[in-house]
Amino acid sequence: MKTEYDVVVIGAGPAGSIAARTCAQAGLRVLLAEKRQEIGSPVRCAEAAGKDTVAEFIPLDPQWIAAEVDHFSLTSSVRDTIHFPPLESTLVLERKIFDRELAHTAAQAGADVIVKARAAGFIKNGAGLEGVKLVVQGQLQEVRCQIVIGADGTEAQSTRWAGLKSNPQLKDYYSAAQYLLTNVNVDQNVCQYHLGWSIAPAGYAWVFPKGKNTANVGLVIAVDPKQTRSAIACLNEFVTRNFPQSSILSQVVGGIPISNVLPEMTADSYLAVGDAAHQSDPLTAGGITNGMYGGLFAAQVAVEALRQGDTSRKFLKKYEKLWDNKFGADYRRLYRLRHSVFKIPEEKLNAIIQQVSQLDDPQPGMGQLFKIFLKEYPLLVVDIMPLLLGK
Amino acid sequence: MSTPLKSAVHSSVVVVDYDHCSYCGACVAVCPPDCIILHDATLLIDTDMCTLCRRCIPACPTGALTLVEVA
Repeated sequence: MKTEYDVVVIGAGPAGSIAARTCAQAGLRVLLAEKRQEIGSPVRCAEAAGKDTVAEFIPLDPQWIAAEVDHFSLTSSVRDTIHFPPLESTLVLERKIFDRELAHTAAQAGADVIVKARAAGFIKNGAGLEGVKLVVQGQLQEVRCQIVIGADGTEAQSTRWAGLKSNPQLKDYYSAAQYLLTNVNVDQNVCQYHLGWSIAPAGYAWVFPKGKNTANVGLVIAVDPKQTRSAIACLNEFVTRNFPQSSILSQVVGGIPISNVLPEMTADSYLAVGDAAHQSDPLTAGGITNGMYGGLFAAQVAVEALRQGDTSRKFLKKYEKLWDNKFGADYRRLYRLRHSVFKIPEEKLNAIIQQVSQLDDPQPGMGQLFKIFLKEYPLLVVDIMPLLLGK
Repeated sequence: MSTPLKSAVHSSVVVVDYDHCSYCGACVAVCPPDCIILHDATLLIDTDMCTLCRRCIPACPTGALTLVEVA
């Protein structure tokens, strides 16, 4: 194994692989180190991502597409349902294969990829970051590099080593649980969302079809010390109520920071991407393509930094700017929206959903839902208008 | 449930129920002193570094963490 690189990327999820690939394509010497023995496994994701956005990063391939969906529905806790007209085509992915394929493209671009390689700390010279200590198949290896890209996920250690403030507040943290269920008779062309405190306190549940009578059925709850039910307990109730005939093929759990991105995503010679940088959508917690953009932007800035011979935080901050240009305004709005929507009492929410579901128009669309919402909650207008305008 | 070892610092400790823990790391991210160690299928809490802030307990998706008195 080589012990010197230009860039070391910690973590081979979508964000890390895109970062590694982008650096390698620019001719840099890159190491992509994954701590697990198998890239993409275990899955910790609801696996839905916008089709067009995914296609910007990798040619679509049926082997990692479980389903393609363009209809969405919203159901209340008393089972009134609003059907929305088709929005952007959404893919339900096979993350195990998808993640591996992305890492594969990084390797093809020239990056060295290794698994069972856990980052154990940074090599520092005074305050300067000079590389990463990796435990590779049990052997401690010192790998020198100019820049480290931390893509080590929700439980990221690299952000802490870099001195970033990465501890999310509990109100900005989702606890998540999901089953891959079989024997579920759901419309394979509809992504269902379920809203209500009794289903998922300050969160929501979803049913994403995965083909062949299977679906990802999961939920997120905002972490609250006063909350006595765990995410999996809420999920068990949801499944018993909605899919009594189903069987469970796999279980996925995890935590997702939804605080909006870290106030600082860079340090000297260091950039954080993906969940390590809290890049999941602060409303829905979706993070696959957002993390891939994070990886892309971080790598573009890393390439530029090495060309100019300046890896200081001052230079790397360009990455934060690139991120903010694309996602900043949206994320701030979605963050506020989550905090407002989840304050609405369940009865009120149910009443609104019922009112819209009973409209004559079989597909009332976002517009009418929000009209009714806004009559009740005029202050939401600032955050909802951009959604109406299709932004 | 793992047997709580007596802590030199506290009269209670957070213990991990390994029948429920899925090693997802949800607790690791919210731990201010960074005292939860996760490697593959191993999760350990350094009870002396732990400040008993209890943030990890509701963060756990499977309810695998509980506070137990050891005094």
